[in-house]
Amino acid sequence: MTLRLGRHTFPDEATLMMAIVNRTPDSFYDKGATWAEDKAFERVALVAAQGAEIVDIGGIKAAPGVEIGAAEEKARVVDFVARVRESFPELVISVDTWRAEVGRAACAAGADVLNDAWGGADPELVDAAAEAGAAIVCTHTGGVTPRTRPYRLEYDDVVAAAISDTVAYAERAIAAGVDPASVVIDPAHDFGKNTFHSLEVTRRLGEMVATGYPVLVSLSNKDFVGETLDVPVGQRLTGTLAATAVCALAGARIYRVHEVVETRQTVDMVSSIAGRRPPKRAIRGLQ
Amino acid sequence: MKVVLVPGVLALLPEYAGLDDPVAELRAACLAAVRWLGADPVVLADPQGERVARALLDAAGGFETVAAQPPQPPVLVVGNGSAKRSERAPGHLDERSHPFDDALGAALRAGRPEVDAALAAELWASVAGIVRMADLGGPAGLGEATVDYDDDPFGVQYWVMRWEWER
Repeated sequence: MTLRLGRHTFPDEATLMMAIVNRTPDSFYDKGATWAEDKAFERVALVAAQGAEIVDIGGIKAAPGVEIGAAEEKARVVDFVARVRESFPELVISVDTWRAEVGRAACAAGADVLNDAWGGADPELVDAAAEAGAAIVCTHTGGVTPRTRPYRLEYDDVVAAAISDTVAYAERAIAAGVDPASVVIDPAHDFGKNTFHSLEVTRRLGEMVATGYPVLVSLSNKDFVGETLDVPVGQRLTGTLAATAVCALAGARIYRVHEVVETRQTVDMVSSIAGRRPPKRAIRGLQ
Repeated sequence: MKVVLVPGVLALLPEYAGLDDPVAELRAACLAAVRWLGADPVVLADPQGERVARALLDAAGGFETVAAQPPQPPVLVVGNGSAKRSERAPGHLDERSHPFDDALGAALRAGRPEVDAALAAELWASVAGIVRMADLGGPAGLGEATVDYDDDPFGVQYWVMRWEWER
């Protein structure tokens, strides 16, 4: 299905790199490296030059920590979105928020996508997306409260739960007026999931793709990779790319990443193996 | 009567298309020559060359309708020189490739192709179609060729040539 992300549309087979840009002092991977606005802006320029189609700007880290209110979250995100919009008109701007109030302000400043990592915790977020003509990312979290870690969560069938919850969220978004071409689903690795759950949704990602909704995967350097390989943050790229390859083979469309270049190469290679993307330039044996 | 020579380059086939075209200039020359030739030519080629010819004819499309059928159908020849022209060539470097191609190229330009088929096979030159060109033309052969392409970008000698004469 043709994908519409705010001002931008993408054809059926297009795979998209969504580069993470944290306006936070405490995110797990970059540990505040782009907390300063100019550092965050430099990161946007870098990932744009690396070919990312989307930037995902977030003002609150996912893990528990100091409470950040809506006003503070907007202060971190909204003016920055406006600056990126003005300087990079070709970039899709996504904002990582679960709050409708923040989503509305971000869309008014130029955001194209509301990336709700917390599974619709604020029921009005879909209205914010609909009003602005923005896209929405519908994630599965098992119903946990935002910024909590999973604790003894179990599922009869984690993939069935992920499909059921994300499709229900997607239908709620469409009923609220979001363009059906602008609804993306995400199994949300690590969110409301232990490592076994995240491995299973990776292994069975094709079932999510079969729903017909474009699938986003957010795998980058996460704990399920770290636990699987027993490696700390900073040594998870190889495991991330292996998981990326499996998701690419299954047909995921959007990849939320720290490392744009490595992920793009992995996804392109797998897409070509799958017969969905021609090689860039082939002459060997064909002269 | 019209005759065109194009090389049997598999990269011209749609099933081997990449995102970037490694033979864009060659492809443009081939398509222009095939359009000039006209619809429904006789094809002189080996089996792989046949596929290249069909692909070029399909891609060229949009031929002008000719009111009267020409007395002799046009001829599309598929063939090329040696694939051993450099160390990076498919067949590595064979020093004999350059004089071979120089001689064959000169003969084609003059419209009187003569081929040492045994040496051609050693040098990985695809000449099955070119050999059969000897039956075409009159006492003066095919006449002087118009050369649209003459290069060896991958260590393989390619020509795109056209001939036309009154019968």
